[in-house]
Amino acid sequence: MIKRMFWGMLILSILVFFVWDVGIAFQDNGQEKVVLELKLPKPLFVGTPKNIRSPNLERITGKKRGPFYVPPGTEMLSLNKPVTGSDTAPVIGELEFVTDGEKSGEEGYFVELGPMVQWVQIDLEDTYSLSAILIWHYHSQARVYRDVIVQVSEDPDFITDVKTIFNNDHDNSAGLGIGKDKEYIETNDGRLIDPRGVKARYMRFFSRGNTSNEMNHYVEVEVYGTPANE
Amino acid sequence: MNKKPAFYGLFLLAVCAAILFRAVRLDLRPMHHDEANQAVKFGDLLERGEYRYDPIEHHGPTLYYFSLPFAWIGSGKSFAALDEVTLRLVPALLGVGIVLLLLLLKDGFSRSAIVFSGIFVAVSPLMVFYSRFYIQETLLVFFLLGAIAASWRYHVDRTWGWAAATGLFIGLMYATKETCFIAFGALFVGLLLARIFTKESIGEKPPISHAFILLGSAFLVAFLLFSSFFQNPKGIVDSVLSFQSYFGKAGEVGFHSYPWPYYLKMLTFSRYGNGPVWSEALILVLAIVGCVAAFYPRFQKDSSPLFMRFIFFFTLLATAVYSLIPYKTPWNMLPFFIGIILLAGNGAAFLFERCKYLVLRSAVTLILCAGIFHLGIQSHAANFRYYADSRNPYVYAHTSTDFLNLVQRVEDIARYHPDRKDMLIKVITHPDEAWPLPWYLRGFTRVGYWQEAEKAGALKDIPVVISSIDKTAELSQTHQGEFFGLRPEVLLNVHIRKDLWEKFLESRR
Repeated sequence: MIKRMFWGMLILSILVFFVWDVGIAFQDNGQEKVVLELKLPKPLFVGTPKNIRSPNLERITGKKRGPFYVPPGTEMLSLNKPVTGSDTAPVIGELEFVTDGEKSGEEGYFVELGPMVQWVQIDLEDTYSLSAILIWHYHSQARVYRDVIVQVSEDPDFITDVKTIFNNDHDNSAGLGIGKDKEYIETNDGRLIDPRGVKARYMRFFSRGNTSNEMNHYVEVEVYGTPANE
Repeated sequence: MNKKPAFYGLFLLAVCAAILFRAVRLDLRPMHHDEANQAVKFGDLLERGEYRYDPIEHHGPTLYYFSLPFAWIGSGKSFAALDEVTLRLVPALLGVGIVLLLLLLKDGFSRSAIVFSGIFVAVSPLMVFYSRFYIQETLLVFFLLGAIAASWRYHVDRTWGWAAATGLFIGLMYATKETCFIAFGALFVGLLLARIFTKESIGEKPPISHAFILLGSAFLVAFLLFSSFFQNPKGIVDSVLSFQSYFGKAGEVGFHSYPWPYYLKMLTFSRYGNGPVWSEALILVLAIVGCVAAFYPRFQKDSSPLFMRFIFFFTLLATAVYSLIPYKTPWNMLPFFIGIILLAGNGAAFLFERCKYLVLRSAVTLILCAGIFHLGIQSHAANFRYYADSRNPYVYAHTSTDFLNLVQRVEDIARYHPDRKDMLIKVITHPDEAWPLPWYLRGFTRVGYWQEAEKAGALKDIPVVISSIDKTAELSQTHQGEFFGLRPEVLLNVHIRKDLWEKFLESRR
């Protein structure tokens, strides 16, 4: 008797489950889906925002950069090395500022190039095995520079043997290919790029404006490495 | 210059200069946070005919109601079809109207003073910059000058029409901005002081009926506008209650609190970073000469000492009150700067007429022409080159030009989404980082705004999420992130769902 009841209940449960499922499936298939209407809140007006003109406000910094390891004998190669650029008549400053060793974010220490894609090029005057590159575009204001691309080559015209070691042009707006590196906010820490020992004499640094204006700026570029024959 | 042909010729030149500076390329500058907010508020009136006076924010209704005919002509009743040029034409045309109103000051000011004042209004960088700005200030100045001019005409003609016009302008001032009471106070005390310091007779006593006409027209226009043309009678009560809120705001020490010389310093000499030097010192210096002229007994040809002294006392009081109020923004200079310009016009006319010798008069003419040319050069730079650059003193917490790249990106991505303009966009920002997005995203039908990511629901499937940079960091797995500048020092993150990003990128390969 108990056995029969058990089997009866089991069959009944299966039937109920089946009918239920078929019903739901029919309901899903028999009617058109409707868009879920979202009730979205309106923006809150909080008055005119603060006017910011100070060149040295609190910066948006992430975690402190950890130690960076380089081969023994690594030295700074870029100090006072010749600099050329796509904008031969900078709006503010001189191209020499890029390698003059002055990294202050204040007025008078940066070179301003015109809008659109611009580049500066450093001639290390010999071929080196590169260990580290540090770039400061403009660090007295929270900004992001667009399409930061770093290329190295043995060719001063960058026609042959060009290697790209950093590229955050994620939408190919500079036309040099899509880069996988991330955009970053400028800080006084500068951007450290690992060239992984690539050998080169010439370095070209590209950018295409920034989030504050259309101009391109460089406070300093530092290149570290060892002689290529070591 | 007091000869009619020379007067009308030069005045016409001033009007042309005012039009050229105000009406050209009104779309150049990205919408400021406050402009966008006014525009969105106006959108409710345009599309649904809804307007309710808000005693806490947004100021009075004149800007919105004056915008209606421009919008009807420019975009019909569609808020999405509205553009910056249509909206900014309202203050721009009233900015030109300020020059025209000067003609009504005849008999109070000499023709030379009217012409010089017109030229200064036309080319002053401050006056031009905020005539191209969709906020209430230029309207307030237009109505203020209208009230001064109409009451002066009433003083001369004693007709009920000028009494009604004076009331109309006073009512419009009240319905424009709550700070009108500073101007009302300065006008009233200025008139009293001018009477005390002037022996000039004010003529016959005005009939009491004219006082009723003046007050009646002022009340009627204020009531019509604040009550949204009888739809919201409570609006007129709210307009009185609003003073509690604005009085508190004026005195609070906060973001916009600056020391008393802030305005005068900005007008005299400003330089930010490596930007150019900005100065309207010519107008200030001439205004000081104009003050002296107002009390110089022999300088009364074609002008009234009572009127000149009234303008002097009004300007002095208004400048003092605005400077002493801790809350300051550059556009708040306009109501007292119009007084400074009138005094400067008077000062220039005084110098011009006092220099009888040809050499001296030539030298004054040369200096004035050079100074006016310099003001024009600055106006051009302020409005067509440094229009959104923080090195321009009148650019205050302005939207960065890079923000337009953000808008363009969202528009580009929508082309690859099956819902196009119905694509869902979630905006998660700090309260002061949301604007001017509602204006720029007005063509999108499904945009929501939150202050906390937790309250915005699931984000991983949302096509576009716009956020402050310290919010929604977890989207890096599902979305492509990009930075865009909102204002100096303020960045926004745009997260684009990766499938849409890939489709967009295909077009760039």
